[in-house]
Amino acid sequence: MTVSALTRPGERDRLTVKFAAIDWVFCLVLCLIAGTGALMMFSIGGSSWQPWAANHLIKFGIFFTLMICLALIDLRVWFAAAYPIYGVGLVLLLAVALLGETHLGAQRWLNLGPLGSFQPSEIMKLGMVLALARFYHSISAERARLSWWLLIPVVMIGAPVLLVAHQPDLGTAILLTLTGLSVVVLAGLAWRIIAAGALLVLVAVPPMVLFVLHDYQRDRILTFLSPEKDPSGSGYHILQSKIALGSGGLLGKGYGLGSQSQLNFLPEKQTDFIFATLAEEFGFVGCILVLLLYAAVIFMALQTASRAHSHFGRLAAAGVTGTFAFYVLINGAMVMGLAPVVGVPMPLLSYGGTVMLTVMIGFGLVQSARVHRYSEVTSGKGALV
Amino acid sequence: MSEPSIFFSEVNERQGVFHRRAFLFGGLAGAGLAALGGRLAYLQLLEASRYQKLSVSNQFNFRLTPPPRGVIVDRNGIVLATNRPNFRLMMSRDDTDKPYETIKTLAQFVPLDNARQARLSRDLKQAPRGTPIPVMEDLTWEQFSSINVRAQALPGVTADMGEVRVYPHGGAFAHVIGYVAKVNKNDLSPSGPNSEPIMLHPGFRIGRQGVEKAFDLDLRGRPGAQKVEVDARGREVRQVPGGDIPSLAGKEIKLTLDADIQTRAMEVFGDESGAAVMMDCRSGDILCMYSAPSFDANKFVRGLTGPEYRALSQYDRKPLFNKALTATYPPGSTFKTMVALAALEAGIDPAQTRVCNGAWAWGGRVWHCDKHHGVMNMHSAIVTSCDIYFYQTALDIGPDKIAKVARNFGLGQIFDIGIPGQKPGLVPDPAYKRRTFKRDPVWHPGETPSMGIGQGYTNVNALQLCVMVARLANGDKALHPRLVESIGGIQQPSGAAAAELPFAKEHIAFVREAMASVTETGTAAATAQLGLGPLKMAGKTGTAQSHTYRDGERTSTSLAWALKDHAWFVAFAPYDDPRYAISVLVEHGGFGAAAAAPRAREIMRVALLKDPDLRARIEQPTPMPDIPDQPADGAAPEDPTPISQAPSSPSPRPVTSQ
Repeated sequence: MTVSALTRPGERDRLTVKFAAIDWVFCLVLCLIAGTGALMMFSIGGSSWQPWAANHLIKFGIFFTLMICLALIDLRVWFAAAYPIYGVGLVLLLAVALLGETHLGAQRWLNLGPLGSFQPSEIMKLGMVLALARFYHSISAERARLSWWLLIPVVMIGAPVLLVAHQPDLGTAILLTLTGLSVVVLAGLAWRIIAAGALLVLVAVPPMVLFVLHDYQRDRILTFLSPEKDPSGSGYHILQSKIALGSGGLLGKGYGLGSQSQLNFLPEKQTDFIFATLAEEFGFVGCILVLLLYAAVIFMALQTASRAHSHFGRLAAAGVTGTFAFYVLINGAMVMGLAPVVGVPMPLLSYGGTVMLTVMIGFGLVQSARVHRYSEVTSGKGALV
Repeated sequence: MSEPSIFFSEVNERQGVFHRRAFLFGGLAGAGLAALGGRLAYLQLLEASRYQKLSVSNQFNFRLTPPPRGVIVDRNGIVLATNRPNFRLMMSRDDTDKPYETIKTLAQFVPLDNARQARLSRDLKQAPRGTPIPVMEDLTWEQFSSINVRAQALPGVTADMGEVRVYPHGGAFAHVIGYVAKVNKNDLSPSGPNSEPIMLHPGFRIGRQGVEKAFDLDLRGRPGAQKVEVDARGREVRQVPGGDIPSLAGKEIKLTLDADIQTRAMEVFGDESGAAVMMDCRSGDILCMYSAPSFDANKFVRGLTGPEYRALSQYDRKPLFNKALTATYPPGSTFKTMVALAALEAGIDPAQTRVCNGAWAWGGRVWHCDKHHGVMNMHSAIVTSCDIYFYQTALDIGPDKIAKVARNFGLGQIFDIGIPGQKPGLVPDPAYKRRTFKRDPVWHPGETPSMGIGQGYTNVNALQLCVMVARLANGDKALHPRLVESIGGIQQPSGAAAAELPFAKEHIAFVREAMASVTETGTAAATAQLGLGPLKMAGKTGTAQSHTYRDGERTSTSLAWALKDHAWFVAFAPYDDPRYAISVLVEHGGFGAAAAAPRAREIMRVALLKDPDLRARIEQPTPMPDIPDQPADGAAPEDPTPISQAPSSPSPRPVTSQ
């Protein structure tokens, strides 16, 4: 806030000023969440930094630095890069569909030889938000509310979602859809359309479940509806997760004493189900504290979005926040037995570099929107073509 | 919000819409998080106890531990079957990706040849995941510790300590006690004691023969459980101290057998085939029940190899049969005691004489005796075992009366001694022929003389003959044999609680007297002398034909082993105060007096020398000459007759022969 008072030309472009403009409270909360994740990984690694805790912290340190660097990049650069990033993401998704590697029955990975393999869908999470933000930056409120122009975002969301769903990666497809739609809604879509869309979803989902999904995906949903039917088979994940949560009670079993996670009853204990590990060892109190940290991240990021002067900055920051919020809600609901198991990690808390990288780049964008909230992004009309 | 950009109306509108919706979005996210919090409260606060129970049942498991199998002891508490620690090596597939490499590593520490390695590898592939398969039993302490130290480098390998059955006396009790073996599929049943999960424990053993089989449930005990923490794959993470349910050891079974007598029986048989049974003729306790040749039951516990089993099962002296119970043979001349008693009961005067010329023509054939005995009365006919006398006597009284006496003395029946495998044998009579032979249901007169000398259809086992002689020796009660003295400290009914023999006491005494003369002057005079001072043994020899003699053939001593006669000897001692009765069978041994009587004598000597009352009789002080009265305080120094030993301290030196 002190920086905003300065109006001398060029003053805001000074690196120290930019650095000071970063939301350091926000950064502290991110560190707390990642630190909690490492704490749990230390516990389930058998009171050892290996194999997860140290790795997690190192990755977080690198990505945190990356986030700070990205925060210093001018929002106009982000704006200029929006469509190229989206384009590259779409091309890579097509490449995966045509020549990607198959891991565990899903074709999600692109082999880059010595650089290893990665999932292009992660690029798309960011690319879609950027591209939609840039698109809505360029059209009027009237057009954003209700017009034929809206067919463009439908295609922009639909194309990557279909490619990702084809892999098949249901979790990411849902996440992309929700993120894209949240940008569309935040940009001012007419309420009628929102209502009609919601109605359509309600009508369309049951037949989708029955006829479009793969068997294992349908099984997950059916299992979710009644996990006790097959406790050792497909209902195992949900049941063991609920046992871990419930047995934690108010204060938990104590650090390092969670039998469900320590004895491997909990599947994916260091990745998708790390929240259950936390819940078992630290109980209700620990869970609520961590959920409050996540709430703080979401609200601070939304606040940043609201304060951006450019529509691009607002929508991009809000879109990233949306992605993050959906991660948290979907993973939380999955771990607590409120949603089917879809393979969505708890961002920053779960082990795994890809999602952390995506989230931290996204937060780099959010912080960039904060640092550069006064910057005049190129006029929308000219940039669209 | 005092920024210049808001003055542009369109921008202002977009910003306004965004702010409202972002506020709503934040609200929805907050609501979502609150819903998660609510769900957490439901699971962790309201349902906590339910999930805690589920968690505990995940975490802890009870591993069955087999109970120590009951110990089997002899009448003096000498251990006949017990358990010893066994270091066992097992391997399971669940956490080894490359079992073959682990086996290779293992082979550096324990002897595993290539064939065994290959078989292990195959077994591992076939075994269900997580089920340990035995690699080796009975590791040495060095092997056990070297494996345990390297546990980290040997995934899936466990070396633990179990118990294994051991029979300290080797073969001496193998037939009576039997052995234990691994449980196989046929042992399992869907319900009852053989359905219990402990049956599937790799350390559990089931009784296969004899006492081990018959009293298996008593010997088993109650399995305990070890509380262990397990991981999701059911592998043991650690033992939980204080969470164990102790196992209850199986009941101790005390047999009436005497290890010393039994061991002596094993010694005296040597390579011969046969059986010896000894009973206490006051209580009915079986002191010895040995079948020769025997086998080492410990090898059966470990599991026999194919060649070992073939060697045992194909040996013509049949070591795997308990001949004391299953081998039935004609009793031969030992049966003459029964015929004599039947004759006395039928009113035949024992002084009545018959003449033996070595052969007697009757019924269209010639009936032979082994000697020219001359004039025989009942006493001398028993003593010399004259066949002619008993051919004629049997004809006089008929088969029914003989059969009645024989049955009252235990022949042809099965006794409830607790262990299975008894053959009843046969005491024939006309009713039996009517029942059994549909085409020839008539008792031919010519069958009676054969019965009179214990041949023909008559068939008995060694236990029955021992019961017979024990009842004769007892003279009063129809004793029952007893093998099991107590189970878990609970006394089993005594064999003396039996009905009285329905025969005149003086008739039984007459037979006993004749048996005493057999060892004094009769057929066994040369081979049945105990040499224990005043103690005398009374007995009766028997030689049972194992095949029909050809013309002119009288003895079988020069024939091949499998064609020789079976030798019997039954006896009791001491004659004047009967305590022990014995029957000895030597299969294809030839003459009873030569093959069976000396063995019976040796076994009997052990029993007599062990009996403290009888030992006192044997070791009675050497008679001293009368000594004139001395002063109470000892001999005076000028005493003219030096006395080396005071009469009140008798010599312990036994009087060995007279």
